[in-house]
Amino acid sequence: MEVFYLVLRNLMARPVRSLLTLLGVLVATSSMVLFLSFGEGLRRALFQELSRVGPAIQVVPEGVEGFGLSAFPEITPETLEALKQAGEALGVQALVPTLFLTRGGFDPSTSFFFQGLPPGVAPDLLYPGVRAREGRLLPSERGAVVGERVAKRSELALGSPLRLSPRVELRVEGILEETGGLADNLIFVPLPVLQEVLGTKNYSAILVALNPGQKAEEVARALERAVPGIKAQTTGEVMRFAERALRISDLVRFGISLVALTVGGLLVANTVMMSVYERIREFGVMRALGARRGFIFRLVLLEALLLALLGGVLGLGLGGIASSAINLYTLDQVGLALSAVTPRLSLFALGVALTLGLVAGLLPAYNASRIPVVEALGRV
Amino acid sequence: MLKAENLTKRYRQGEKEVVALEGFTYAFPKGATAVVGPSGSGKTTLLNLLAGFDLPTEGGVFLGETPLHHLSEDERAGVRLKHMGFVFQQWNLIPTLTALENVAFPLLLAGWPRGKRLKRAAELLEQVGLAHRLHHLPSRLSGGEQQRVALARALALDPGILFADEPTGNLDAESREQVAALLFAQGEARTLILVTHDLELAQRAGRILYLKGGRLLREEVLKVPQGQNL
Repeated sequence: MEVFYLVLRNLMARPVRSLLTLLGVLVATSSMVLFLSFGEGLRRALFQELSRVGPAIQVVPEGVEGFGLSAFPEITPETLEALKQAGEALGVQALVPTLFLTRGGFDPSTSFFFQGLPPGVAPDLLYPGVRAREGRLLPSERGAVVGERVAKRSELALGSPLRLSPRVELRVEGILEETGGLADNLIFVPLPVLQEVLGTKNYSAILVALNPGQKAEEVARALERAVPGIKAQTTGEVMRFAERALRISDLVRFGISLVALTVGGLLVANTVMMSVYERIREFGVMRALGARRGFIFRLVLLEALLLALLGGVLGLGLGGIASSAINLYTLDQVGLALSAVTPRLSLFALGVALTLGLVAGLLPAYNASRIPVVEALGRV
Repeated sequence: MLKAENLTKRYRQGEKEVVALEGFTYAFPKGATAVVGPSGSGKTTLLNLLAGFDLPTEGGVFLGETPLHHLSEDERAGVRLKHMGFVFQQWNLIPTLTALENVAFPLLLAGWPRGKRLKRAAELLEQVGLAHRLHHLPSRLSGGEQQRVALARALALDPGILFADEPTGNLDAESREQVAALLFAQGEARTLILVTHDLELAQRAGRILYLKGGRLLREEVLKVPQGQNL
């Protein structure tokens, strides 16, 4: 505690330099927090969404992995028939073919995501808990049920027309209650209508609902054995795949933020090294008075750690504020909080900041503790 | 008792060997001993070796039975903390600490609790006439005041040996007298080793050692040391 006080006094004796170094660490840490918060936000949003998906198995064409929202319709009616037979033999509850269509561009605020459902299948089979706020939940042959957010964004009301192609026009027949999930951004339409628009008889994915007591992994493997050319993914597998993809993306983003972190580390090292050179005589006096090498080592190292920790805490705060600002925008645009500063990210950021201080402070601390007393006091 | 036996220090300066001190043998008794001599006579080297700042090329320094020259750097630092106090010509106070904190610093190294430490430091500063300057940084003190803070710091752990290296070298006449009086008042109860150019100051000690060319020329024992009553 006393050494900490000495360190604090020394940093306060050189306020401008300490402040500039602190700002360097702050910018480095906040940029890292912001970069990594996207991974955390995506992870949270994705897992929340997947945990809300009703069917336990999603069948996609072989070679497609992950969530099949944008999968090209490659599953043929023959494959669906074969799956139905296999499913019947395995005693599954239901097989629901589905088709996805995206209209729009890169900007999510002007894009539309359609999901085709077979006649008689309402959105709540795929997204349990979804309810109609207005109108009906199950669309008719030429009707559509619209998620809350897309309805608000595009000012759709009951009876509003939806033109999918020059020849296909639907009417809004239902608007869903807000769920905070993926369904808020989807437009549910009859599957035959989407097939007509795309000019195909195929499907993007087949969703398999299980009976109580059935094990998703076992059923998935049995379906793959029974029907060649398909990949049956359980929710757990999708989650694992998503986690793997997110980890890779985390690493890439951490790699980018390493540049800023390295600059921050060099700033701390430079400040502490300068401080050591300026205080050689002071360290000599301390050693002459009876301070051991370890005392000087701790004094200098603590200075670097304190700078890094303070910069880290402030950087974490700034990163959190920036993350909240980004979430305000993405919530408004796509209804999802894409950035999250989670406790584990906070701990990681503080750990990285402290490691930065440790690495930056080790060499100056070692040098300071090894200065011969006679040289430090100028008594040679 | 602090003893030097055949203390020798040689440096290499390029191809040339420089003998800074050679064959110095002396046992420092209690009381004040002044070490005098011209520049380059080996005074500073002698103090460096006696205090354990540096190691001799030959010979050794003994504190009682402990050979300082056989101890590690940290062990010598421990001996200095426990048994030695220092007053330097340049005062060498820690610039970011107040007078009170500077005096309390050796007590911090010795592990004293904060309250006890500050109480002892305040008492010492009062003894050197600086009770009104406790919370001043060194930069706000005059040279004489800084040297008195340094003296208070040297006395913090009540060491048996007090080293003073040109303690009045940078002071005006009035401050010089104040510091000298305080210093020699300490010399009666402990071993005071005073390194100086100033013969007038040296004559206030009980003994004077004359160095020249790195050798001890002679020892002069004054019958009536002039002490603080000069």
